[in-house]
Amino acid sequence: MPLPAKAFQLWLHSVAPTASTADICRISGIKRTTLAQQLVRGKVAETTLVSISRALHLSPLAALASFDSFADLSSPPLPTPAELVSQIATMDLLRAVISRSSPAYGGYGDDGSSRTPALSAAPHATSVRNWVDSIDDGELRHRVSAATGIAPQNYSAQLTANRMSPELAVATARAAGIGFTGGLVATGLITEDEAGWPPGAKQAALDAVSDGELTALAGERLLSLGKTLRRQEQEQAQTQKIWENLG
Amino acid sequence: MTAFLEWGTLAVCCTVLLLRVPDAVRGRNRTVFGILLLATLCSLLAVSGPYEAIDGVLGGWNLTHLILRFLVFATVLLVGLRLTRGLSAATGYRLIAGSIGRWALGISCVAVTVLFLLMDTRGSSAGLAALQGSGGRNAFLAPFYAAAGRSYPAFVSLILMAPLLAAARSQMPRLVRAAALVTLLGALAVVLSIPASFAPPDWALGQHVVNYSAVLAYVLGLALFWFSGVIAGKSGNTNATFSKITD
Repeated sequence: MPLPAKAFQLWLHSVAPTASTADICRISGIKRTTLAQQLVRGKVAETTLVSISRALHLSPLAALASFDSFADLSSPPLPTPAELVSQIATMDLLRAVISRSSPAYGGYGDDGSSRTPALSAAPHATSVRNWVDSIDDGELRHRVSAATGIAPQNYSAQLTANRMSPELAVATARAAGIGFTGGLVATGLITEDEAGWPPGAKQAALDAVSDGELTALAGERLLSLGKTLRRQEQEQAQTQKIWENLG
Repeated sequence: MTAFLEWGTLAVCCTVLLLRVPDAVRGRNRTVFGILLLATLCSLLAVSGPYEAIDGVLGGWNLTHLILRFLVFATVLLVGLRLTRGLSAATGYRLIAGSIGRWALGISCVAVTVLFLLMDTRGSSAGLAALQGSGGRNAFLAPFYAAAGRSYPAFVSLILMAPLLAAARSQMPRLVRAAALVTLLGALAVVLSIPASFAPPDWALGQHVVNYSAVLAYVLGLALFWFSGVIAGKSGNTNATFSKITD
């Protein structure tokens, strides 16, 4: 369930008592019709709230925390190291593997991390699936679907599409017994800074991973990337064949 | 209503045929053009005016209707071969082009011819509508003749259903999937037209709707396959998927 419109309007009145709806839309870059529609339907999207709090220079996390469904956000625990590593893009992980290797292969050995380019910001192309994988104890998906009623195949479809609603991300975090910020960052609702992650948190988590673990992790990521690419190539070839014969 | 269906179908066939002329001139997929040409000819012969004119030349004993059946068989054969090849349905292609398909075509041709000769077919009448109402032997044989004329199209349509359904459910571009879905509806209508042949005469309008929607859906499906290729333009670079997935 997105945010209830009534609670949203109360919040808006408390943070910007003098601003009109038109002002709010102008500064936050939200279309007036979009906001009006969300208010009429009684459900305001979390992205709307985040855009408005950014425009008002408020913390999106604190704004979210003022709503009942996100109440636990007020003092968020830091994400686990595994969650942090899951938010490192696959190409950055591969770069880390190479930079740790010997100079003969273009690496820098032990001081690799200080000499490779900074990690790209989360979320990345497979953030959502990697985040869920990093917190999954094997039973997580069952617990989420029992708690929210979402069918397992719909849940997997969201992971494949690298998309997840904030409510589902929160439900997933709750089922895994961890803080909520990892999911909100992985789904792209808020940035790492806004989630209160220290600037070097991802890099530190990556540096703490042993060579063996890093290589295995990079291998898993490459394997699933390869599967996705192969499926896409197959479909492209299939489409091409259709056009050759019927186009 | 029936006249509207006849002329409407002819108009759609002509439009799609004209759209494909430039490609046919350039030598691109002339088979598809041939299919559309045959389909247009068939829908022309289904209209009362042209039918009676041509049948008059041929002696006025409805020989045109038998020729129309053979034209339909030829169209369906070409459609089946093209679609199974385009959709990479090797089994389907073998079923249509192999000995089973040849037997099916042969038996259908013989059945149609024998039933036609058994009927008293004097007096030109498009769709043999007047013969069915004349009572006696004709009234008994007419539904069987109609069903025999749809047996081979239904055989091919049954084979096409599985690959079309798979294409409609795949991850290919939306227009390609839409084209597969529309063609699938055509195949469904063709299969339904066999039981519809035995419907009581009061249901004539329903029969016509099923028959013409089959032609329309097949032709529009082919047009959509062609159109999806046209707007997709030329981009056959398989490497392009890599940057798409990894951002």
